[in-house]
Amino acid sequence: MLGLKARCQLNLQRMMGRFWFFLIGPLSFAAMWLIGYRVKDVKAFRKEIQAHFETHPGPWLICANHLTLIDSAVIAYALAPVYGYMLNFQLLPWNVPEQTNFQRNIFSAVFCYLAKCVPIRRRGEREQLRRCLDKCIYLLNKGEILTIFPEGTRSRSGRVDFRNVTYGVGRFLTSVPSCRVMCLYLRGERQDSYSNFPHWGECFHIQASVLTPSSDDKGIRAQRAYALQIIARLAEMEQQHFALRGQ
Amino acid sequence: MEERLVMEKLLGLIEPFMDDPGLLKKAGRATHLIDDLQLNSAWLVDLIIKIEDLFDIEITDDDADAIQTIGNAVDVIQLKIRDRNSAAA
Repeated sequence: MLGLKARCQLNLQRMMGRFWFFLIGPLSFAAMWLIGYRVKDVKAFRKEIQAHFETHPGPWLICANHLTLIDSAVIAYALAPVYGYMLNFQLLPWNVPEQTNFQRNIFSAVFCYLAKCVPIRRRGEREQLRRCLDKCIYLLNKGEILTIFPEGTRSRSGRVDFRNVTYGVGRFLTSVPSCRVMCLYLRGERQDSYSNFPHWGECFHIQASVLTPSSDDKGIRAQRAYALQIIARLAEMEQQHFALRGQ
Repeated sequence: MEERLVMEKLLGLIEPFMDDPGLLKKAGRATHLIDDLQLNSAWLVDLIIKIEDLFDIEITDDDADAIQTIGNAVDVIQLKIRDRNSAAA
């Protein structure tokens, strides 16, 4: 159970993010456009996502594959137009980035704070991890959207990585039964393996699949079953991605 | 169940997860499962499930969060076995 102080901090973060989004939102989208990042069939994809969000406003757990440090930003770019987030800030997903990656300098730390990030130290103390999980569960219980990467880290093989799957994703689902899962497979055309950033002028392909994980088990076993079903779906989507491109 | 016996069984469960089983030779109560034995968090959950099966106990999320070292695991196992036995008595 999350303490009052932590809840207030998250609510303040959300408020600050909403206020500053009118500045950093358009700047971020413009930066992506200037770098030449494009998402293939983005309008159709946004329509598809909007239909899902209309059927179930929240909570949503977006589970995506992970190849670059800015996957979350590209996902946010793909999910809705910048004015969509201005009108409904709840659409902007929360993220759980590795603390050491985004606290390299004050600018990225502030940016991530305003962009709804909850820092995590994956190899940190269990108590710290626990606090982070509690924050995510609190947000989901409030009907928010959360993006996580079930592979835990960027896939070193460049393919969906079963070996390092984190079962935390299953814990969210056992803790928040009303939460729906949307698997997203995102990959740039020139993204052969993992990297810090996608190539300049990269064209991304993205696909979504809503999943209802199920298990007859309870507790830790159910969490494992959910996590494995999600990672298996991502692997299927990866196969489809390459099949469509004849690779 | 005696601590030594629990420890032996536990090390037997950990071994298949290890890339370098040699690390287990020096393992003691203070050995950290992730930092020292290089288990990842997913394997830790798999290990906990194997512990549940072998010792016929149920480990909750809170208990699982408390398991960081071999000593923590042994303590949780012994506590759960005691709980189970007293409930059955």
